Amino acid sequence: MVDLSEYAPILLFLFVAAGLSAAFVFLPMGVSRLTGTHNPSAEKLSEYECGFPAFEDSRSQFDVRFYLVAILFIIFDLEAAFLFPWAVSLDQTAWLGWGSMMVFLFILTVGFIYEWKMGALEWE
Amino acid sequence: MDLATSLWLVSPEILLSLGSMILLLMSAWGGEKSARLITILAAATLFAAALLLMAIAHMPDFKDGAVAFDGLYIADNFGSAAKFLIYLAAIISLMVAPRFFKAGGLYRPEYPVLILFAAIGMGIMVSATDMLTLYIGLELNSLSAYVLASFIRTDVRSSEAGLKYFVLGALASGMLLFGISLVYGFSGSTSFAVIGETLTGDLATGPLIGVVLVLSGLAFKISAVPFHMWTPDVYEGAPTPVTAFFASAPKVAAIAMTARVIIEAFGGQTAAWQQIIVFVALASIVLGAVAAIGQQNIKRLLAYSSINNVGFLLIGLAAGTEQGVSAMMFYLAVYVAMTLGAFICVLEMRDSEGQPLESLESLAGLSQTRPGLAAAFAVFMFSLAGIPPLFGFWGKFLVFDAAVAAGMLPLAVIGIAASVIGAFYYIKIVKIIYFDEPSGQIVKTGHKTENGLIAVLALFVSPLGYLAIPSIAPIADAAAAALF
Repeated sequence: MVDLSEYAPILLFLFVAAGLSAAFVFLPMGVSRLTGTHNPSAEKLSEYECGFPAFEDSRSQFDVRFYLVAILFIIFDLEAAFLFPWAVSLDQTAWLGWGSMMVFLFILTVGFIYEWKMGALEWE
Repeated sequence: MDLATSLWLVSPEILLSLGSMILLLMSAWGGEKSARLITILAAATLFAAALLLMAIAHMPDFKDGAVAFDGLYIADNFGSAAKFLIYLAAIISLMVAPRFFKAGGLYRPEYPVLILFAAIGMGIMVSATDMLTLYIGLELNSLSAYVLASFIRTDVRSSEAGLKYFVLGALASGMLLFGISLVYGFSGSTSFAVIGETLTGDLATGPLIGVVLVLSGLAFKISAVPFHMWTPDVYEGAPTPVTAFFASAPKVAAIAMTARVIIEAFGGQTAAWQQIIVFVALASIVLGAVAAIGQQNIKRLLAYSSINNVGFLLIGLAAGTEQGVSAMMFYLAVYVAMTLGAFICVLEMRDSEGQPLESLESLAGLSQTRPGLAAAFAVFMFSLAGIPPLFGFWGKFLVFDAAVAAGMLPLAVIGIAASVIGAFYYIKIVKIIYFDEPSGQIVKTGHKTENGLIAVLALFVSPLGYLAIPSIAPIADAAAAALF
């Protein structure tokens, strides 16, 4: 039988985390109402900078180039995620590990050259 | 096992990888003009890989297979035989592609490159002896296949086929991975050999669910009932050369991979997987036969036909004996020839403006306008139906023989009964071609490559094919022996 009391610390941690994060959200809201800075206007409530309108028909037109950029980002993000464990364990994997990673980077570079040449990185 | 030997054993895959990367860069600089050249070079690369495969298979002490990379990969007779079929089918789908796409002005050099990527993935699939190697190969093949399915991106049906294939394929990969993780959790390893040693005796619920999920994921990839629902839509929507490719090479790879997983990893659990494979085989045969009857689109009909044939292939596997696997490999070779031949015949269905035709009515009276094509169509249909003396009969005979020898008489009886239902729609096509009023929609094309391929494949599945038995049967036997 699993001894549930072993898990008491994590349960406590979750309670504390939930309580604290709720406090961080609701306390400023309450304080701002009490102190009178709560003064919404149409301009204040609208999204700004790079935000999309939060409430509208979800079937709106969406530039397909965003997907391309997102996919490219994921590929190179994963590459970085690969490189970290490889770098810290290089003393154990030695030259074989180094060579394998170079092969991987080479393949990735070929793909990168292809996408560059095909104009996937140009916005216009 | 040192690194050099490992690299030598995977040299077909290395050659294909280097070749496909060089061709990818060539396609980036050459543009659409280079499409033809790159297609020829890709076919040459596949041919060279097949030669390497033979060189490896002729090594001394290859008989029991040679393990590479500490048991992640094995080069053995089973994998080599499957890879040989895969490369051959890939070369044929490269040969027929340029002319099909040219009619729409859409042929791009990425097509041969994607076929090469898929071929690498399939080679890894059939040689994998570890769940993770298997998954890498499977995904490499699947991702290339998703793009290939939607290759004509201006065509709504093609894009839809690609999207459907992608969504359902991702779901299947998820099931497979979940199954793998459960099997790994209960056996402590992802290696087929260790899983096979660990999962013996009575199977607990946990690993059982793992086995079931792995088999579900694999059944999806071979498009066996009840995981077949994507096949008709994808086969209908994808460009015809791509459909011919889907129905041949990836099917060989997925079936061979399933056989290896079942025999090597789940070999100690015959009672568990045999029920599932028997059910899947029978369901595929019956549904493939019944659902095809009402189809009016020839590609959709051939999709159900391929579901039906997967059922027959699985009967050989369900027997779980060396004879059964050998029969399955033999039938695979015949199946690839039959299905490629049938799809190349479909490629030849064009109207006077060069537009592809797909409806059954357009075939009416083909025997009067194009007697040669009509005869080839009839040969492929009779062979797919398994009517003697055509070669398809011999393949079916072998799998049923293996099932009976393994004491599965009821399975064989139901399978044979259902193949009679299937014969109805194959013969219906022959009837439309030979006895209906000519519609005259299909015109002569005079494509030498396609006509030559049809002639060669039709000769292979004709009674003349029996002459090839002495050269194919030992290969199938050696392939099966490598698994046991």
